[in-house]
Order: sequence, then C-alpha cells, then structure tokens
Amino acid sequence: MNKNKFGILSMLLAVVVAFASCKPAVEGEETGSKILINEVLMVNETNYQDDYGMHSAWVELFNKSYGNYNVASHMLKFSNTPGDTASYFIPKGDVLTLIPPRQHTLFWADGQPERGTFHVNFLLDPTQETWIGIYDGGNKLLNEVTIPANILAVDQSYARAIDGENKWEIRGEGTSKYVTPSTNNFTLDKNVKMEKFQVQDANGIGMAISAMAVVFSGLLLLFIIFGSIGKVSTWWALRTAAKAKGLSDEETKESMTKGSTPGEVFAAIAMAMHELQEDVHDHEDTVLTIEKVERRYSPWNSKIYSLRELPRK
Amino acid sequence: MGEFGNFLIQNLGDFWTYTGIYNATWQHFAMIAIGIFFIYLAVAKEFEPMLLIPIGFGMLIGNIPFNMDAGLQVGLYEQGSVLNIFYQGVQQGWYPPLIFLGIGAMTDFSALISNPKLMLIGAAAQFGIFGAYMIALALGFDPMQAGAIGIIGGADGPTAIFLSSKLAPNLMGAIAVSAYSYMALVPVIQPPIMRLLTTSKERVIRMKPPRAVSHTEKVIFPIVGLLLTCFLVPSGLPLLGMLFFGNLLKESGVTRRLAETARGPLIDVITILLGVTVGASTQASEFLTLDSILIFGLGALSFIIATTSGVLFVKFFNLFLSKENKINPLIGNSGVSAVPDSARISQHVGLEYDPTNYLLMHAMGPNVAGVIGSAVAAGVLLGFLL
Repeated sequence: MNKNKFGILSMLLAVVVAFASCKPAVEGEETGSKILINEVLMVNETNYQDDYGMHSAWVELFNKSYGNYNVASHMLKFSNTPGDTASYFIPKGDVLTLIPPRQHTLFWADGQPERGTFHVNFLLDPTQETWIGIYDGGNKLLNEVTIPANILAVDQSYARAIDGENKWEIRGEGTSKYVTPSTNNFTLDKNVKMEKFQVQDANGIGMAISAMAVVFSGLLLLFIIFGSIGKVSTWWALRTAAKAKGLSDEETKESMTKGSTPGEVFAAIAMAMHELQEDVHDHEDTVLTIEKVERRYSPWNSKIYSLRELPRK
Repeated sequence: MGEFGNFLIQNLGDFWTYTGIYNATWQHFAMIAIGIFFIYLAVAKEFEPMLLIPIGFGMLIGNIPFNMDAGLQVGLYEQGSVLNIFYQGVQQGWYPPLIFLGIGAMTDFSALISNPKLMLIGAAAQFGIFGAYMIALALGFDPMQAGAIGIIGGADGPTAIFLSSKLAPNLMGAIAVSAYSYMALVPVIQPPIMRLLTTSKERVIRMKPPRAVSHTEKVIFPIVGLLLTCFLVPSGLPLLGMLFFGNLLKESGVTRRLAETARGPLIDVITILLGVTVGASTQASEFLTLDSILIFGLGALSFIIATTSGVLFVKFFNLFLSKENKINPLIGNSGVSAVPDSARISQHVGLEYDPTNYLLMHAMGPNVAGVIGSAVAAGVLLGFLL
C-alpha cells in the first residue's frame, strides 16, 4: 500500500510540476487574434503603388493563423484625436478579403472608398499621434497600433520586426530594414534549424542523444504511471473480491500475500475440463448422405421482385 | 486516296508515339520487374501480401510508359489526374493517421499494461532510427533527408510515409518502399541477429505470465497515453492521436460498430489506396536514382541496428532485474514495431530452443510499445528539423 501511495503521490507531483511549468503570460503579448495590423506607411512618395498607379498611405494586415481568414464585415478604425474616430466597413462579397494562411493584405488610406474594397475612407497624418484598430463584425477590438507623432519620414513604415510578433520598429531608414508592403517583414531565406544541425551536429550524435532521451522519457513516464495504475488496480480487484467473499481486513491481507496462481494452471484445468466434457460419447460410425433438394419456389424467382408496381393515380 | 493514305499513316504514327512501347526505357522495365518480384514474394512466399501486392501492382501502374508531354493526365505526378488525387492522401499525409486509427482499434495493449517495463524495450529499439540518421548524414544526405531515411528503422510504414512527406517529399517513394520491403523481410533479417547476440541460457528464460488487465485500465491507457506522449511531443499528434483514439473505440466497449469499421473496412480501404499509390509513386524517372539505392542500404542497416539495440537493451536491463522477473532477450527484437511480425519472430525463435516457452504474449508488449515509440520519434524529428 505504501508503494501505491507513493505512486499516487508521484502522479500528483507530476501534475503539479506540469502546471507549474506552463508557459507564463508575457506582458504585452498579443491577444489570441488571428488578424493583426502588421505594418503602416503614412507618407508614400516613391513606395508601393495601388491599382490606379497612385502612391497612397497604406495599412498592412497579417493573417497570423495557419488557416484562411476573411476580413469581410470587419471594421478598420482610425483616430488622431480621442473621441474622433473614422470607421471603414470592409465590404462583403469580395473574394480577395479572404487572406490565406500566414499571408498579408494591404488597405490604401487614400480617403477614396469608391475605388474599391481595399481603399478606406480616411487619410493618415504623420504629424499627429495615430491610432489604428481592427474590429470584427461584433465590434470587438481584434488588434490595434498607436503610431507616435512625427516619427515616420517620407516612405518610412512602422512595422513589426517579425510578422505577427510584438516588437515594432521604423523601416526604410537604412539598407537593412526594408519597407515590405504585402510581404513578410522578416524574410526566412534559410532553414535555421537545419543549418544549426548541420553546423553543430554534423555527425548526428546530438540528435541521437536528444531524440532518444525524449523517446525514453515518454515511454518511461508511461511505464511509471501504468506501473502505479496496475498496482492500484490489482490491489483494488483483490480487495473487492475479498469483500465480496466477506473476508476481514486481516484475511484480505493474507489472501493478497498468497500470490496469484499462474495463468497456465487455470488454462490446464480448463482444457482438462473441456476435454472431459466433450468426451462423453463413444466414437460411432457415421454415414453422411447428401440429397438434392428440389424446391420449386425461391424468393429469387418471385414475380414481386421482377415486376414494377403499377403507378397509383 | 494518296492524301488520305498519308493522313492514315501520320495518324497511326502519332498514335505510335503515344504507346507505352514507344516511350519505354530500360528503367521502366527494371521497375516493372521489381513490381513483379514483390507480387511473387507476396503470393509465393506470403511475405506481407496485404502490403506487397498493392505496392507491387502499384509499381506496375506507375511504370507504364506514356508520352509525358501529351498532357494526358494519367500519371501520378500530373496535377488533377485520378492517380494524383489518390496520391494526395500520401502527399498531404492523411492516409497514415487513418491507418493508425485502424491499428489502434485492432491492437490489444494488455500485454504492455500488465508489464509496463516492456515499454522501455520499445524505446530502445528506436536506436535504429538514429543510427541510420547518423549513417545517412555521413553519406552526404542533409539532416532533413537523413531524418526521413532514419525513420525506416522505426519499421512502421505509415510513420515513414508521414515523416518523409514532411521532411523529404522527393525521397518518399524510395523510403516507403524500403520500409515496407524490410517489414516484409523481418523474418529473414532478425533471427540471425537474435541468435548471435544471445546465449543458449538466455534463450530459454521463462517469463512470468502477464496478469489479467481490468477493463478500467484498458480504457485509461489510451487517454493517459495520448495526454502523456502528446504533451511531450505535440508534433506526433496526428499519428498518436489517431492510434489512441482507435484504441479507445475498441476498449470503451460501447462503440463496437465504430471500432469494427476502423479496424475493418476503413483500414482496408486506406491500405489499398496507400499501397497502390506508394507503389505507383516509384515512377522510374523519379525512383531509379543512386539515392534510392543508398536508401535501400540504409533501410537494411536501420533494421539491423534496431534489432540489435532491442536485444542488447534487454540483456542490459536484466542486470537490474531479480531472477524471477528476468526478460527473455529474444523478445528484444520485437521493439521493432513491425506489428505483429517481429513478435512472431520472438515466438518462433523461442520455440526452437524450448518448445514449451511461448513468448508471443510477452513480445506483443514491446511490439506495440515500438509503435508508440516510433510515432514519438517521428514527432521528435519533425519538431527538431521542420
């Protein structure tokens, strides 16, 4: 029983450790929203052009999830001054509002919504602090960004350093930080993990050790837990059986320490009994006669299966 | 008449360029010969017929030569062709989890639950994967390709297909055929290694009969198994999730129809589609390369390493076990998760040395632990490399 208690205690400890090791909430971390404002360019002189060949300010949205996301019926809101907010309702019925997984879409802040779905009804002013938010159809704020006044020069954007992550930076200042409309802010041009393995574990020993450690840990955990569950289960079964027989606690303990009879013994007894029961008759001579049975009727040749019913008027 | 005659001749000439005979190369005939050999092994030798017949016939289908430039949409690799649609299950990796669902619904984990220490043998046999991984790296494959090749040592076809479709799609055909071929050849590969690594005294060790496992334990197993393994290796979720789900369908006792469908018609349908498309994916132009030959060699090595590590681990484990709890090292090979073939090998080899020592029920423990172990290993490789 002490072992059982130990097993239960170790399981409880494992649960506590598991909860304690849960990922802590990081201050300032994005909410669970799948759609994020990813980059904003406020003064466009030589940057990206819209379909009309115009250089307008733009707001880039990023679908952080690994599934499609439709921004139709969402609202893009903008404000320079508290209490004065412009809202743009993203129309339904345009297939382009469906953003593929981990992809981007641009909205042109040119104040000319008549030019199409992706042209909003407000303009951005870099000389004032600017707040932009995106709301879902139920007017729930999904994501927002506040851009301080006068931090963006011409053709500079305010962008997340890595798509979907929290750190924002000014882009377009030097050669290393490009403005990236409608594409990744951070370009993955190599498989970092694989390169790490190629450089640091060229012969694969590190992978073998770490992976085998994980495989062993997983199965070791199962071993420990099912070892404990098995002991509890055996103890419980014996106890229940003993109670059913009306044995006292002392007698139960005694019955538990007697050990179990090997399965082979029961199998041998069962087989012997089976043979004995089956062997009640002498072997007799038998004659097997097969006669052809002639049956005139069969459901297969019934007319009801071959004729269609007459239509009822 | 002369013009019409020319038209007829030109027409027949065009048709001739469409025929298999016109487009055939020696590589096509080589692959067709391999396909026929697989079918021969399945029919005459009964080596894994459920796998080798679909794969062998798939090889015939995939290697019928045709004019690739004609846009006939008949080839496996032609977008939108019927074979290509069937192949999506392999390419997108949704056949393997469905196979695992069926395996879960047909597997009895009682042997493992009654003697949980056998799980560690299933873990030890996964050394085959990482041994092959290291050798593949040494041969010049990149880490992702080496990981996909190494998984052949897990002796688990669906897992091999699942992982290679993610890590090295261009090698998937060779990896899948290699994995299934060596699974079929387990009766040839394993016994000599088992005999070589064990003493006559060890081969006749009698193990304690497994205890009876209660229904409650059987129901708890898939739930706890899923939670533990997937919390540790979430990347193994598609395989482990379906494996344990299938097992819960079986053991819950209240979803008999679902369990029967999963282990019967469903797994049969998926096995047919998987086997034929994997076979057809060995199109000569894609398959007959030096890499494929290397993969076959590495596959054999990975099986040898896995069997060796399983047997040696039992011998090592026995050093810490009391006399009455010792494990017969002949079940070490069954950590290689070719279910139930490697467990059957333990039984056959065991009976050669003691005709009254039945090892099958004991060997099934590490055998099914090997399935879990190889799925976990696949998850680890995915997590590390992708």
